[in-house]
Amino acid sequence: MKPAAIDYARPKDLAEACAMLNEAGDAAMMVAGGQSLVPMMSLRLTAFETLLDVSRLEALKRTEDEGSHVFLGAATTHAMIEDGKVPDPSQGLMSRVASKIAYRAVRNMGTIGGSVALADPAADWPCGLIALEAEVILAGPDGERALPADGFFLGPYETAREPNEIIVGFRIPKLPPAARWGTFKVARKSGAFSDSLAIAVLPGDGSARVALTGTTAHAGLLVRASEALPSGNVAALREAARADIAELDPDADAYRVRCHLATVTRAAAEALS
Amino acid sequence: MSADADPNGWIGARLLRKEDARHLIGASTFTADVRVPGLMEVAFVRSQFAHGTLSGIEKPEGLEARVFSAADFPDLKSIDGGPELPSFRTAPYHAFAREKVHFVGQIIAACIAPTRGKAEDIADQVFADIDALPAVVDTVEALKPGAAILHDGFADNAFIHATVSEGDIEAVAATAPVSMRRTFRMNRQATVPLEGRGVLAYWDHRLDELVVYLSTQGAHMMRLGLCLALGLPEHKMRVIAPDVGGGFGGKNRLMPEEVAICAIALKTGKPVRWIEDRREHLIASVHCREHHYDITLYAERDGRILGLKGEVHIDAGAYSLWPSGPFMEASMAARNLPGPYQMQALHVETHTVATSKSPMGPYRGVARPGACFAIERAVDELAHELGLEPADVRRINLVASEQMPYRTIGGMRLDSGDYPKALSIVREMVDLAALRRRQMEGEADGRRIGVGFAVYTEQSGHGAAEWMKRKSRIVPGYESATARMLPDGTMLLLVGIQNHGQGLETTLAQIAAQEITVDPANISVRYGDTALTPFGFGTFASRSIVFSGGAVARATRALADKARRIGAHLMQIEFEQTHLADGAVHGPAGKVSLAEIARAANVRQEFLPAGMPPLLEETATYEPEESGGFFSYGAHAAVVAVDPETGVTSILDYAIAEDCGTMINPMIVDGQIIGGVAQGIGTALYEEMPYDESGQPLATTFGDYMLPCAPELPALRIHHLITPAHGTEYGVKGMGEGGAIAPPAAIANAVCDALRDTGARIWETPLTPRRVSDAVAEAMGEPA
Amino acid sequence: MTALTFTLNGEETTEAVEPREILADVLRDRLRLTGTHLGCEHGACGACTVTIDGVPARSCIVLAVMCDGKSVETIEGTRDDAAMNVIRRHFHEQHALQCGFCTPGMLMAARDIIARHGQPDEATVRRELSGQVCRCTGYMGIVAAIRSAAAELHPEAAARPMHTVSSLA
Repeated sequence: MKPAAIDYARPKDLAEACAMLNEAGDAAMMVAGGQSLVPMMSLRLTAFETLLDVSRLEALKRTEDEGSHVFLGAATTHAMIEDGKVPDPSQGLMSRVASKIAYRAVRNMGTIGGSVALADPAADWPCGLIALEAEVILAGPDGERALPADGFFLGPYETAREPNEIIVGFRIPKLPPAARWGTFKVARKSGAFSDSLAIAVLPGDGSARVALTGTTAHAGLLVRASEALPSGNVAALREAARADIAELDPDADAYRVRCHLATVTRAAAEALS
Repeated sequence: MSADADPNGWIGARLLRKEDARHLIGASTFTADVRVPGLMEVAFVRSQFAHGTLSGIEKPEGLEARVFSAADFPDLKSIDGGPELPSFRTAPYHAFAREKVHFVGQIIAACIAPTRGKAEDIADQVFADIDALPAVVDTVEALKPGAAILHDGFADNAFIHATVSEGDIEAVAATAPVSMRRTFRMNRQATVPLEGRGVLAYWDHRLDELVVYLSTQGAHMMRLGLCLALGLPEHKMRVIAPDVGGGFGGKNRLMPEEVAICAIALKTGKPVRWIEDRREHLIASVHCREHHYDITLYAERDGRILGLKGEVHIDAGAYSLWPSGPFMEASMAARNLPGPYQMQALHVETHTVATSKSPMGPYRGVARPGACFAIERAVDELAHELGLEPADVRRINLVASEQMPYRTIGGMRLDSGDYPKALSIVREMVDLAALRRRQMEGEADGRRIGVGFAVYTEQSGHGAAEWMKRKSRIVPGYESATARMLPDGTMLLLVGIQNHGQGLETTLAQIAAQEITVDPANISVRYGDTALTPFGFGTFASRSIVFSGGAVARATRALADKARRIGAHLMQIEFEQTHLADGAVHGPAGKVSLAEIARAANVRQEFLPAGMPPLLEETATYEPEESGGFFSYGAHAAVVAVDPETGVTSILDYAIAEDCGTMINPMIVDGQIIGGVAQGIGTALYEEMPYDESGQPLATTFGDYMLPCAPELPALRIHHLITPAHGTEYGVKGMGEGGAIAPPAAIANAVCDALRDTGARIWETPLTPRRVSDAVAEAMGEPA
Repeated sequence: MTALTFTLNGEETTEAVEPREILADVLRDRLRLTGTHLGCEHGACGACTVTIDGVPARSCIVLAVMCDGKSVETIEGTRDDAAMNVIRRHFHEQHALQCGFCTPGMLMAARDIIARHGQPDEATVRRELSGQVCRCTGYMGIVAAIRSAAAELHPEAAARPMHTVSSLA
């Protein structure tokens, strides 16, 4: 269980990284924390020629309070978010989400950008960023562009990122102090990938966002459940969620549906409490 | 070092472990830590098919000399295990697959390179031409007409069919007021020591022998097996088991990788090693546990059990591992099915079945977790059927202390103890009455709580008679020890067992200390090297403290006897006037230190009595007179909370009352119990090695194979009953496995108890959230 | 081959490595620091835990080349670490190890838990130990050792009320 031979490059800045990526195309693979990629390399489940180490790019390490938003660079580690070492737009929600990712030693290395770039359906950040209405900031040969997190995830390990684009970071709107949120995860054990993860956010302005991931093809916003949540009617919320789940996880068997309903209901209950 | 130890009584002292220091500074030596100049690493090419004919192997161009397959070793003998019974069918297990492959992960070729990564690069280029054949993945279906037959010459897929029958089951069946039939399944697992297997072999030209570093539970046994396979005389092989990172049974069988590495080292003349990776471990190491039970209990309406009739299928995997194969599993399952309960008749048909999976071997508890799960789940079912409290049904059926020794209907001689007391203690520990009240009130968070009990027995220290009954081709009926006192009065104990976490460097030193009154700090225990120690069988089957402890006691006692004779001579008194204390031989007026005596015996023979041979060194073997074994036992009570919607189970409380006779070191006993229960909880709730219909393993990393971690496990509460065994040294019984036996039964009973008002019941392990949630849904009439 | 220069247990070290090599293999096979163990090679068991720039990391899922310029500490580098020696003593006294294979990684995690939490309660210790697999001990001794070591190392941290998983309250 050892990786196959590769070349390694460490671009000095974002521009050089973009240029290298643009030139190498599919032959290149970016790495930040490597906490998902390196095991896949060791299992020889992924093949590429050149590893582009973007973990030290200043542009990806930047974190900033931008007033109405917080920018978190893609190379921000889960542990930095967990420990509150970067600005928090989420009234503690992101710290909670981070704290439930894998294990502490993994959170010390793993990055939010890597998690989003990989787009594992069972990963936590895609769901969290959708719930927070975040934007994904991408840099490519033609400059930067921003895409809503909701819609960025297209399928298992598939995103709207173009092959020559680098995820620079995330622009996350700030929740007001009165905002409420809840999360619930079902996994076979602590630190395991989730069978279902639901995150519910009530910003306090009468709106709501409920996002779900796990055995789905990708994380997604539950539109009907989001509409139903502010009323506080749990029975209505469940029915709404049931319709959303049928769309988001059409292949779900009865157990998966039960799990999704359970996580949505409990995340909602926490947000409403 | 000697925290609570009474220097005059080392037996029972909570002595801190002698073996901790090297591990705590990262200076231990596991097989993968051994370095030899010029070492080559091996990566195996393994079958990706569950069943197929192997028609050819294409080695990559230019790298032919780096790749080895069956054709390169025509003289290598197959490593066939199993009982010496004519009815046992043998399928030759070659280190490298020959005409056919029989499970995903079976070895086809080996590639060597200076690093494992480069060896894997070569392995990726080897092409094996395999025509797929239908796989056999279900042990019950495997025996039905029309199932593909895996091995040539087999009439059906069974290695063996056998019946265990005692008493008149038909008569019981004809008259019993209650008859209840249930089926249970314990699913397949891997053994998962944290250190995988590993082997390093090289030819030592000075000693003219093959040196084999091996992560094993028994170096002597592996030398025997390896030499059989290689055709090498045993004096040309030295097996060294250095630090071994857990075994649990999984390192107690001769495996093809070990044979292959030795063969490659012999053929190439180069030092070669293979270090198992976790994927290889999960798909191609020793598998365990997979049993299917179809049992009928006959009983009175008051819950008294009259008899048990059943059929047991053991999913043995593709081959029978040397030495004893999978058959012990079936006979132990059948004979342990009655558990510690009295009944009049037992009739069990067993089938040890070949399937397209990695071969089965022993794992902590061997067969008994499955048997305990089946009988204890059935007892709960019976209680519910009769409207009785399950703990009460257990109590009226348990063998009572005044009946000891008691021969169960399964033929097990329960030697001593108070089983009903153990049950009543855990019943009190979890406060059954309070739990029943709490259940009536319900939980605020919507979870259901439940309580489950299980009583188990653990046969330990069984000798020749028991192994002969099992028709074992190796009869591990004794252990050996050499006690050697060096000229300065310090001691070495050379033993044939292996210490891979059990604390035997400490407990064996305590036993010697007890006999010779030397501080254990001055006694070193050496093991795991065929060049160093007398022959022994290794550490398995909860045997080492009984057998090796007994041998150490005897050898040290003989050495003490000789020391007293020398002491008597030096003091010019009679032997009978001497006694040992505080590291000296004492007489009525004065003493001689053991150091002085050892000096005389080793380097100043002129001080010895006339005619006494020099040296202070004794070798002894030990087997208890009663070789049917000594039974540790216990009762476990689990309290769980179950989320009926998600099916997630949490353990709220776990109480244990157990009796393993005299404890040499209570701290180590507790450690073994806690560790065993943790593994039992793994079986109950987390660990599973599933296969799809085509025989592809579905758990190939720890992302799929769930091991319980600290958050999943409770703080256990342990109560010790102590009934010293009659007939072992100090009254000890073995106890390494017991912790792992009862948890699947206790936890499954607790989950079913929690869900009782829903009607949901669970029939198999592990009780995953999916299984539990589906069972609830099905019971409530929703889609499962 | 790529030149890797990093601080290893306080000493500047340069080694030529292949980019594909994981840190654990470089430590074990090239630099002969075999106290770092490999239990799964995919980041799930914690036996290979070292620190990189002061924080625990799994050396089986970190490529060595990515440690260029960083500081790596292995169990061998902790022999004179006062806090680790206290933790070691408590591991010994609480029977927190059996086969010893998980122990180096467990110690690296334990020191970090105590550093971050002061005197953590039982639930916190158990949660933080998630992903550090011990197959032998059932974790009770490890949890007890971390808590008692923490009490010795951080007597000033207010001892939080004892939480036991077995409490049914």
